[in-house]
Amino acid sequence: LISAARLRRAVRRETIGVDVGAALNLIGALVKYLSLTFLFPAGVSLYYDESPWPFLAAGAITAASGLAIERATRGKEQVGTREGFLVVALTWAFAAFFGCLPYLFSGEPQLGDPANAFFESMSGFTTTGSSILTDIEALPRGLLMWRQFTQWLGGMGIIVLALAVLPRLRVGGRQLFESEVPGPEVERLAASIRETARRLWGVYVALTALLAALLAGYAVTGVDERMSFYDAVAHAFTTMPTGGFSPQAESLGAFGAATQWTVIVFMLVAGTNFALLYAAFVRGRPRALVRDEEFRLYLGLAALAAIVVFAELATEGILEGEAGLRHAVFNTVSIVTTTGYASADFNEWPVLAAVGLVGLMFIGGSAGSTSGSIKVVRHLMIGKSLRRELDLAVHPEVVSPLRFSGRPVDEKTLRAVIAFVLLYVGLFAAGALVLTIDAAVANRVVTPFEAISAAATTLGNVGPAFGFAGPFGSFEPFSNFSKAVMIVLMWLGRLEIVPVLVLFTRRYWRA
Amino acid sequence: VKIVIIGAGQVGSTVVEALHDEHELTIVDLDGARLNALSYRHDVTTIQGNGATRSVLQEAGIKDADLLIACSSRDEPNLIAAMLAKKLNPRIRTVVRATEVEYLEAWHERHLDVDLVVSSEIETAYAVSRILGVPAARQTDVFAEGQVQIVEFDVEQAALSHEVIGRTLREARIPPDSKVASIIRGDSALVPRGDQSIEVGDRIIVIGSPRAAQEWSSIIAGDRPRLDDVVIYGAGRIGIAVARHLIRQQIRVRLIEADRERAQLVAEAVPEARVFNATGIDPDFLERERIGQARAAIFAMRDDAKNHYAGTLAKLHGVGFTIAVVHEPISAEVFERAGIDVAINPRQLTAEELVRFAHDPRTQQVAMLEGDRYEVLDVTVRGESELANRRFRDLPMTGALIGAIVREGKAIFPHGDDVLLPGDRVIVFTDARRAREVEQAL
Repeated sequence: LISAARLRRAVRRETIGVDVGAALNLIGALVKYLSLTFLFPAGVSLYYDESPWPFLAAGAITAASGLAIERATRGKEQVGTREGFLVVALTWAFAAFFGCLPYLFSGEPQLGDPANAFFESMSGFTTTGSSILTDIEALPRGLLMWRQFTQWLGGMGIIVLALAVLPRLRVGGRQLFESEVPGPEVERLAASIRETARRLWGVYVALTALLAALLAGYAVTGVDERMSFYDAVAHAFTTMPTGGFSPQAESLGAFGAATQWTVIVFMLVAGTNFALLYAAFVRGRPRALVRDEEFRLYLGLAALAAIVVFAELATEGILEGEAGLRHAVFNTVSIVTTTGYASADFNEWPVLAAVGLVGLMFIGGSAGSTSGSIKVVRHLMIGKSLRRELDLAVHPEVVSPLRFSGRPVDEKTLRAVIAFVLLYVGLFAAGALVLTIDAAVANRVVTPFEAISAAATTLGNVGPAFGFAGPFGSFEPFSNFSKAVMIVLMWLGRLEIVPVLVLFTRRYWRA
Repeated sequence: VKIVIIGAGQVGSTVVEALHDEHELTIVDLDGARLNALSYRHDVTTIQGNGATRSVLQEAGIKDADLLIACSSRDEPNLIAAMLAKKLNPRIRTVVRATEVEYLEAWHERHLDVDLVVSSEIETAYAVSRILGVPAARQTDVFAEGQVQIVEFDVEQAALSHEVIGRTLREARIPPDSKVASIIRGDSALVPRGDQSIEVGDRIIVIGSPRAAQEWSSIIAGDRPRLDDVVIYGAGRIGIAVARHLIRQQIRVRLIEADRERAQLVAEAVPEARVFNATGIDPDFLERERIGQARAAIFAMRDDAKNHYAGTLAKLHGVGFTIAVVHEPISAEVFERAGIDVAINPRQLTAEELVRFAHDPRTQQVAMLEGDRYEVLDVTVRGESELANRRFRDLPMTGALIGAIVREGKAIFPHGDDVLLPGDRVIVFTDARRAREVEQAL
């Protein structure tokens, strides 16, 4: 009788295959540590005689929420691989949520609408760089620095940072790591994930410091008299993560040629695989760069695109000489690496250049870099796989494994790459469609090209779109619904779709 | 001479057959019936047991033996037997049959204390390329990250047409960036001087750049028309070894393998070959892939009967020249009777190579090239060396030859007027007895 009752209870019990409590416990811990990051903008505010309270209040709320979540789920400290997706996806959503608190508390009218504040925060953490601000320079210095800082945190990844410093994530970090680091295959730099995460962050911090020092040097020596120490740090924070926010309304157009050329180089570096940078410069094997197929194609594509744009600008007589070349290179590199800076208003450029730049939004930098979008390696693999299909059409028995930099590529990896690209294109199309329809419904003046470019730029974590949301424009005119759609696109784009999308499948939740 | 042989299979019994007249043989095998059959046929001592154990080796009289031939079908027991034998009797010489290329490489790099390792795969590959008329280097050793190669060739009749052969080295136009390090003729090995010449039948050792090694290959190959497009049936160990060997000589290779997983593995391991997942006996496939247009086909599948059928079918489709790898001794005759051009038996080749080592002083010397007669030194010139800062033509070195120097990471193949600098890394080919002397001088 007792066993029959047990059986009945067992049958009736709801079965969920994901340990939500454990996932929340870890997320709570991460949120708790995230609260510390508010101290930096608070300090900046104090330095510039501004109120640090928006940051301190946000920090307190974040810390309290993190502790509360952690406390509520106490005793569930073990996270399995299955929970990894949930942890990664929700951590980013939470980071964007808590990150928008300072915007709300600042009393700044441009950011008063929660939709605007959340958009700006998500655009920051995902290193997109799209902005709803219409008058950037009206914001206080501390708040602008926070905007820059969110991109820097999001660039190499908050979870990778946590893996590097939190002892608690010593085991089972692999799933988390792979869900966050962009690219089809994650290269390890060291025996352990923890050490790999540390080295990635080490390279990232070093490069950011180098760029900040260079730009500050320009300010001190007068190479670029429009540069200041504040701007040097602010732009280093958004160049290395290929973010694109700038405290200047004219973005990088506010600075001189030397600064722009320097930033071009660092954008290209930021779009390079960090594992490759580590091999080349820390381990001292610069030949690794030449040997890497993705790196060669990445540079080749960027160069080709820049030349085409420059040729068009020159023939149309819009920009010529050094300035023409610089603006062509700067803006194409900015788009290819998904940074989103602008040195000139490419909104005004002729149709071919504009359409070309939207096309470039689908390329992205290298895997394992801080850039977004599809990424060069995936294009390369798809190209190779198509070539193989042609070969197989003629020679059905041929066995030819795809090779990437000489190493054979696993067929499973290839399948995942094809699936990713299809998902990416599908989401882009759906996003563009929804934005267009919503604009019509909400009775706003949004042309299809503007909607398409906005979907591409947010999903690819690029930044500027075309039309009113162009490089010197703002995303403010979009309806709140459209903004919500773009927030989701940014979130999907930064985490490379799959970790977010699996949460919407029934198989994920079932035992 | 007293010889202990481990393994009485096809290889072992062929070896016994060749050696029993002149030598005192002891044969060890786990299979009593095989041993029985051998002992009825020849006057030999047999011991049933595991040859890779100390007790059995001692029982076989390893202490007074001069040579151990470990030729069972399994690599590891062969190697263990050889290692134990060296420990039990330090002056014994050991020959091991191994199929795994890794072991062969380890031996090349002197990580295995064995006098000679014979691999049926490599012997087969070498035999195939000899039959196809593309004589390859017998051995290639690589130094300085591949910038310097030491290559060993047999000079055959076909090379006679080339002007390098038969002229004194002073007059002959040796490929640039290379030197003849040694000429092995009959029983003797000569460190060549300007008044000597390379003759047909010699075995020569050349030091040079990879490009020079290529040029030497084409000199040795003579003016034969270039062979291209070879189809290999069966991507087993032998098939792969043959494919690699041919690819190294820039011959286009197609591999046909029936097993899907194996085909995938091989396609990953040998990117230069075109791999097909097919049985090779489907006429549609043969037609579609124009197998008939191949210059030559090699049948290296595991089953003799399958090879036979596939070979005959390939002939019907028009393949010009067919070579079959056979496993049963009798198959060779069957194949050749049936119209396959050449049949080669890897076990036979292996046995021959093992016997050669035991028999012929000439090959002994060659085999010891890696062993103790010659050494290739890779040393850096010290600042206080007497030889530093002197021109090459003035260097007082006999029995040693500086084949190449590596300066700032680049290989230089020195001429008489070049100067040896401190800090140079030099690749020296030297008589083993003088190796220490040379090392000290530098």
